[in-house]
Amino acid sequence: MRAKILFTSSMTAESEGRPAASQVLRIKDVRKVYGDLEVIRNVSLNVAATEFVGILGPSGCGKSTLLMMIAGLVERTAGEILIIGELVTGPRREVGVVFQQPVLLPWRTVLDNVLFPIELLKLSRAKYKERAMELLTMAKIGDFAHHLPRQLSGGMRQRVSICCALIHDPSILLMDEPFSALDAITRDEMGVELLRIWQANRKTVIFVTHSIREAAFLSDRVLVMGRRPATILDDVAIDLRRPRQISMMEDERFNQYVRRLRKAIEASHAQ
Amino acid sequence: MLNKVRRFFVELGWPIAISVAALLLWEVAVRELGVRSIILPPPSEVFDAMLQRSELLLTNLWPSLYLTVLGFGLSVVGGVLVAVLITYSSIVRKGFYPIIVVSQVVPKIAIAPLFVVWFGTGAMSSLLLVVLVTFFPMTINSALGFQSIDEDMHRMARALTGSNWQIFWKIRMPHALPYIFSGMKISITLAVIGVIVSEFVASQEGIGYLIKLAGGLLDTPLMMAAITLLSMSGLALYGLIALAEHHLIYWQTADDTGESSRS
Repeated sequence: MRAKILFTSSMTAESEGRPAASQVLRIKDVRKVYGDLEVIRNVSLNVAATEFVGILGPSGCGKSTLLMMIAGLVERTAGEILIIGELVTGPRREVGVVFQQPVLLPWRTVLDNVLFPIELLKLSRAKYKERAMELLTMAKIGDFAHHLPRQLSGGMRQRVSICCALIHDPSILLMDEPFSALDAITRDEMGVELLRIWQANRKTVIFVTHSIREAAFLSDRVLVMGRRPATILDDVAIDLRRPRQISMMEDERFNQYVRRLRKAIEASHAQ
Repeated sequence: MLNKVRRFFVELGWPIAISVAALLLWEVAVRELGVRSIILPPPSEVFDAMLQRSELLLTNLWPSLYLTVLGFGLSVVGGVLVAVLITYSSIVRKGFYPIIVVSQVVPKIAIAPLFVVWFGTGAMSSLLLVVLVTFFPMTINSALGFQSIDEDMHRMARALTGSNWQIFWKIRMPHALPYIFSGMKISITLAVIGVIVSEFVASQEGIGYLIKLAGGLLDTPLMMAAITLLSMSGLALYGLIALAEHHLIYWQTADDTGESSRS
């Protein structure tokens, strides 16, 4: 039933026989310099369709800048970023972004907020209304469709933000520390929720975080970034079965991954 | 609904009771002490003057109100437009904005006689003074509203290929509305002051003119009747704006203003 509503663009690309479909995102030798401050140095990265990639690093290490460059909102100083085989020169509609704080318009109802990206993209609201409701239901906030954001809790607002980012069916979901403003319990729950939504949608997700456990729990693969200028120090495949459950955080294998990631981070601090 | 009515009376009951008591005390004290009504007329005499000379009062009230509302309206439109320029043009923002701010050290009321020299004693001087005193709060508040949108919201809209036009009408404008209304509430009070001062300086009609005239004739009841009428008009104008604000800005309630909803 879900497959009906969730028409993923990567699947259409495959059916057209485009080879780029398997590699949704390619980053080659990207560098970013602000004035004489080098923020990012030679980052290269390939992300396959439907892959969940965590980017882990200390605060202010340039993770967000990298994300904004993928979104086409920040210009890169050097290097190439390709989304589905096309060079990024500005914002693209294949991308959905979720920020640290939920970005909702307080004068719009939850449903109208979810449909806001559709208006910006100059698409038909009527066509997407059903999909918006289905996304909200999937995110377990269907009953709040006609509420204003201020009537919702922080966690619920962030669920709405995720729906906003998914409404136009982007191939890549960029998430910039989306749960860091939430309390620890809500945060774990939201992680599980996100995985559930991701499993149903099969988007490519780039998830930036400074929480080691969060990165390990959510991702297929965790990239560890060091302090400025940021480079990728380690690329760790997280081979844990899916769907993941909170109880898995107690497992020895999970904690091995956590230790390995922590070592990589500590190594970057020592530099 | 019933709860609302009850809360209204609980909140307003005490101030109204105290006001009525003060008026009664005034009335009794003036009569008992035999104070001459040139010095301080009892409230009943002021009320009487309002009724007896309502025609004189109203013919002078209308031109003042007209100039107040017209000048205020010009400031609202002009202030919002300049605020848009400040938001979108770095030349205006960097070049003119500081001048607008610094120019506020000039006590604008002091310029009233100068306007009389330039534009004569007619309605033009009054109108310009109203615009002068109300323009600044309108501009500053609106500019703050347009510019204080959430940075991430702006980024999200741009990431979704939103145009400047869309960002302005769908994000900046609604976000700025509460700020614009704050500016309007400040400005309407200032507009009334502007008109009265300009009528004090030089005018042949208007409520300010009438107050001055009655003062010259030592007709204190008429003076106080004019002041009362003026205050009531000012309150009504303010009330209209507050009412419009309450209905237009439905996403903010009285108990969460200034909280996250505005940021």
